[in-house]
Amino acid sequence: MLSKSLTLLLTLYIVFAGTAVVHAKGNTRLVLTGSSTVAPLALEMAKRFEKSHPGVRIDVQTGGSSRGVVDARTGRADIGMASRSLNQSESDLFSHTIAFDGISIILNKSNPINSLSNVQIQNIYTGKIRNWYQVGGPKMPITVVNKAEGRSTLELFLHHFGLKNSNIKASVIIGDNQQGIKTVSGNPGAIGYVSVGAAEFEEGYGTPIKLLPMSSPLSRPLNLITKQAPDGLAKQFILFAQSSEVNDLIEEQYFVSLAAPSK
Amino acid sequence: MAMIDRSFTIIIWIMAGLVLLAFGWLVSDVVVQGAPKLSWQFLMDEPTRSGREGGIYPIIVSTLLILMTALVVVLPLGLGSAIWLAEFSSKSSKRVRTTRLILDVLAGVPSIVFGLFGYAFFCGFLDLGFSILSGGLTLACMMLPILIRTTEAGLAAVPQDWRKAGAALGMSRTTLLWQVLLPYASPAITAGLLLSIGRATAETAALIFTSGYVDRMPESINDSGRALAVHIYDLSMNVVGGDKASYGSALVLILMVVIINLSASTLSEFWLEKKISRLK
Repeated sequence: MLSKSLTLLLTLYIVFAGTAVVHAKGNTRLVLTGSSTVAPLALEMAKRFEKSHPGVRIDVQTGGSSRGVVDARTGRADIGMASRSLNQSESDLFSHTIAFDGISIILNKSNPINSLSNVQIQNIYTGKIRNWYQVGGPKMPITVVNKAEGRSTLELFLHHFGLKNSNIKASVIIGDNQQGIKTVSGNPGAIGYVSVGAAEFEEGYGTPIKLLPMSSPLSRPLNLITKQAPDGLAKQFILFAQSSEVNDLIEEQYFVSLAAPSK
Repeated sequence: MAMIDRSFTIIIWIMAGLVLLAFGWLVSDVVVQGAPKLSWQFLMDEPTRSGREGGIYPIIVSTLLILMTALVVVLPLGLGSAIWLAEFSSKSSKRVRTTRLILDVLAGVPSIVFGLFGYAFFCGFLDLGFSILSGGLTLACMMLPILIRTTEAGLAAVPQDWRKAGAALGMSRTTLLWQVLLPYASPAITAGLLLSIGRATAETAALIFTSGYVDRMPESINDSGRALAVHIYDLSMNVVGGDKASYGSALVLILMVVIINLSASTLSEFWLEKKISRLK
């Protein structure tokens, strides 16, 4: 009984696995890897693109902007995804902006603080200010929520405030936006920074966080990265991702589309 | 003394109660939040809007395929190694002790390490790319040490007299193994299998780098396919407004593990009973 059902399962499995060999890889397949912020958007764009281009398959993988850049360079991916601009050492690659994402500082809703100056934020993140009473709040230790190395939100934040990651005294290191929001909403003394769209959505939904007003907007481009000037299918997909056909998808992910830079 | 005894009993009860409470809380949270999402459509549809709407059918299929790939590799390798360790080698030899040590270390290695290994070796070196095959093989590496060690413990628990009795009756080693030792050890093997399946279905870190993120229906095991755990992780950590679908998927994952556990223990009991009734 056991061996019979096992044999049956195994046969089915091998038949299924065998079909893999027949499935040829043509130039109808694109692989995208990179930023976890861009990935859900790119996945939806890819689905719409596949619908209008029968036979084409676009595989979207995630892992962070740095990986997107590396994979585009080594050729493991046809297109990399990065939620930041390319830096100088990457200037040999080609980047194609498809949308923008803003970043906002968030606090727990129960925190009475309503604004912080850039200097105060710098001092909080470098550990010079460790308690909210030092910036006019209640006596409560500050929980500094920082992003993990390799995250483009981190790079943009550091660049904007002129900080070095090695100087930051973080209590919590997080990866994705939603994780940041969850950490801050569950901890009255926490301060963090995440995507504006995500933060606004969660605040409207009733999650106990609040966005701090910024003196100057912190925004970052969402890019597709290619090793060479794109051609063929990659070029078609990039043009499609930049066209107004996908504006609704961009808004659905709470990003700002190229066509309408101000939201 | 009676006082001490009684308070000890109470403490034990409280401890057990706390564990049950924590477990009950966890499950009821997932059931309460996930149940409204659960429907035939949710199980049978493709995900839309980054998984916030639609269903998880391709993701269930990918998960089962990854698990199956892992099991096809793990079962023969794992049982074979365990039998070698328990029956075909001297227990105190250096080779055996080294193998055991390596297995114990491997069982404790964080899954992200297996993920990076799988990404470098299966996806990169063997050029399997992001595929269900890469994911399944990576999971197999994680499951092997657990299965080998529990099976070995099960075989070691078979009384030595039985082996001698078998030899006295003129049974070949294979017959003895197949008719006596393995049936006797089958509860332990099942337990090991369930533990490793549990570890495999809960796996996110190792799979996001190997079987990948693609949420469409896989055409073959060479395609990338998103596992349920990866889907839950992405929805709750990365997709704005994905919490409800995330709870729904978590509930499906729990149900899946329960079903797999029940059917595996039923199968193993059935097998054990058959062997014993034949011996009568």
